[in-house]
Amino acid sequence: MRKPRGVIYGVDERPPGTVIVLSALQHVGVMFAYLVFPVLVAREAGGTSVSVANVVSMSLIVLAVATLLQAAHKMPIGSGYLCQPVPSAVYLVPSMLAIRHGGLPLVFGMTLFAGVLQSVFSQVMRYLRPLFPPEIAGLVVALIGMATGVVGIRITMGIGTETEAGSREVMVALATLGTAVALNVWTKGSLRLACVLIGIAIGYVVHGVLGGFSASDWDTLYSTHWFALPQFHAAGWAFDAELIIPFAVAALAASLKVMGNITTCQKLNDADWVRPDMRSIGKGVLADGMGTMLAGGLGTVGVNSASGAVGLSMATGVLSRYVAYGIAVLLLVLAFFPILGIVFFLMPKAVAGPALLFVAAFVLINGLEIMTSRLLDSRKTFVIGFAFMGGLAVDLLPHGFDGAPAWIKPLLVSSLVFGPVAALILNALFRLGIRKVQKLTVDPADPDNLEIEQFMETHGAAWGARRDVIDRATFNLLQSIETIIEGCEPQGALEVEASFDEFSLDIRVHYTGPPLELPDKRPTNEEIIESDEGHRKLAGFMLRRLADRVAATHKGGRSTILFHFDH
Amino acid sequence: MDLKEEQVGGVTVLAVKGRLDSTTSLVLGERLTAMLGAAKARVLVDLSQLEYISSAGFRVLLMAAKRADQNTAKLVLCGVSGKVGQLFDLGGFLDLFSIAATRNEGITAAG
Repeated sequence: MRKPRGVIYGVDERPPGTVIVLSALQHVGVMFAYLVFPVLVAREAGGTSVSVANVVSMSLIVLAVATLLQAAHKMPIGSGYLCQPVPSAVYLVPSMLAIRHGGLPLVFGMTLFAGVLQSVFSQVMRYLRPLFPPEIAGLVVALIGMATGVVGIRITMGIGTETEAGSREVMVALATLGTAVALNVWTKGSLRLACVLIGIAIGYVVHGVLGGFSASDWDTLYSTHWFALPQFHAAGWAFDAELIIPFAVAALAASLKVMGNITTCQKLNDADWVRPDMRSIGKGVLADGMGTMLAGGLGTVGVNSASGAVGLSMATGVLSRYVAYGIAVLLLVLAFFPILGIVFFLMPKAVAGPALLFVAAFVLINGLEIMTSRLLDSRKTFVIGFAFMGGLAVDLLPHGFDGAPAWIKPLLVSSLVFGPVAALILNALFRLGIRKVQKLTVDPADPDNLEIEQFMETHGAAWGARRDVIDRATFNLLQSIETIIEGCEPQGALEVEASFDEFSLDIRVHYTGPPLELPDKRPTNEEIIESDEGHRKLAGFMLRRLADRVAATHKGGRSTILFHFDH
Repeated sequence: MDLKEEQVGGVTVLAVKGRLDSTTSLVLGERLTAMLGAAKARVLVDLSQLEYISSAGFRVLLMAAKRADQNTAKLVLCGVSGKVGQLFDLGGFLDLFSIAATRNEGITAAG
C-alpha cells in the first residue's frame, strides 16, 4: 500500500499524541450534530429530561464501542479504518413509525432486529447483489433523504402538533439553517466541517434571546448534575412484524452507505488502489451492524458510518486508526456528563428541524448520485421513475389509498416501504427479455472504433452495468483489438462476445492468429520506444492491470483473450 | 483526432482532441518531432479534450519527451485528468512527464 500525496498520517501510522487529541476533538464535534436523531426520537416518545439525557449518554457509549469495532484491525470484525459511525438519519423515519406503533420499546427492539439483519447481510451480501442493483440502492437513499426532509419541515413548522410555529420559531429556524448553509457554502476548514453544530448553537442563542426558553427549562438545566454515572434504564424491547420492511430497508441502506464509505477509506489510503477490497468491506458492514445491535440493546437509535467523518479525515489528511482510539476515549468520558444530554433535550424544535433539513439535502443528493452512477436505459428509467413517484404518492396522499385491499396496506405506510418494494418488483419484471450475451464482429481491415464503443454503451445500459466497469471494459476492448490487428496479423474477422451478470462482465475476443502477450511487468521506457514488441508489451501490461482477471488461450490456430471484470 | 496549434508567448500550445490510437498517433508523432526539432523549443501539449489514448499514443509521447531531452527543449503536458488520467496512472506515466494541472500553469512551466 503506497501512501497518496496529501495524506499526512495513513491508517497504520501512529501520529503524535497532540495530533490524536486534536483530530479526535474535531471528529467528536462533527459527531455531536447527529445526536439530534436519538434526542428527537426520545422526545417524540414523550421522554423526560432525565430519560433524554440518558439516551444521549447511551448513544455516546454505543458510538465509542462502535468506533473501536470499525477500527479493529486483523480481527473477524471491523474494516480497520477510521470510519466511525454516528446516530443515523437512515433509522429516523422507521423509528418514528415504531413510536406510533409501540413507543420506545418497539424502537429499541426493531433497532436490535435491524442490527442483526445488517450483520447477517454482511455475510451474504455478495450473493444478494442481483436483488439490489445500485440504482435501487440509490432510490432507497434518495427516499430516506426525502422522508427525513419532510420530518424536518414537520418539526420546524410544528405541523400536526398543538404548537404551530410562530414568527419566533421562523426566525430561529432561519438563523439555524442560514448559518449552517452559509458556513458550508462560503467557508472552508474547521468552520465548514462544524457548520451544523455551529448552526445549532446559533439557533439556541437566537431562541434564548427571543425569550424562547421557559423558567422550567432553566430550572431543568440548573438542577442537573454536571457529572454522573450513566444509568441504564431498560425501557424494554418489542417486535412488530408490520415494521420489518421499514427497518429492513433502513438496514440495507445503512449497509450500502458503509460499503461506500469504506471503499472511500481504501482509496484515500492507497495511491495504487484499483478496486474495492470486499473482505475489509464485509467486516466493516458487520461492525456497523453490531453497532446498531448495541444501540438497540442499550436503548438508543441505530448508528451508521458517517460520510462527514470520512470527509473530515480527507480534509485534514489524518487517516490513522489511532485517532479512532482517541475518539472512543473522548466519547466515553463525555458519557459521564448528563448536562450534555439536558442541553440536547432543551433543543428547540425550530433548531432540530432545520438541522434535519440540512442533513436531508445531502442524503437526497447522495441517493440521486448513486442512482445515476449506472448507465440507465428506458427499462431502468421506468423502474426508478415509477417507484419514486409511487413512493411520493403514498406520502403526499395519505388518504388516497384508503380503499386499497387489506393485504397491500402494510406497504402503504411510508414512501420508504412502498418505493423500494415497487422498485424490486418492477426490476424483476423489466429484466425479462434482456439478453445477457451479446456479440459483435470486427473487420480487421477496417475496425470501426465508434461501433465498438456504442456496442459497449448500449448493452452496458441495458444490463444496468456500472459506468466505471463499462469504461474499463471499453478501453480493454479497443486496446486489445488495436494490438491484435497490429501485432498478431489475424486471419478473418475478430469475434467479440460480451456476457454480463450482476457479479461480473466478461469480454472475450476470438480470432485466428497467435495469442496476445499479457506481461505482468511493465516494459522499460527504452523497450517501449525502441521496438514494436515493447510497445505491444505495454498494451498487454495495461490490459492485465485494468481487468480483474485476464487469460489468453490458443488452440488449433484460434486464439481467445478473456477480460473479466468484477461487478 | 484534431490538432490545434497556437503560440502563447514563447510557448507552442498543441491541443489534442479526440482519440489517440495506432493510426492517429502517427500524425501527432510527426507534428511533435517537427516542433521539438528546434533547440530550446517550448511545447505544451493540452490533453483536456482527449477521449482515448492507447499504448501507441503513450509511445509517441515518450518519444517526444526523449527528443525534447536530447535537444534541450521543454515538453509539458496539461489536461491529464478523468479517464485519460487513470490510464496515465495505470501505465506508470504520471511521474515520467512534466504535467501541469491547468493550461495556464502549463504555459508558465514550459516558458
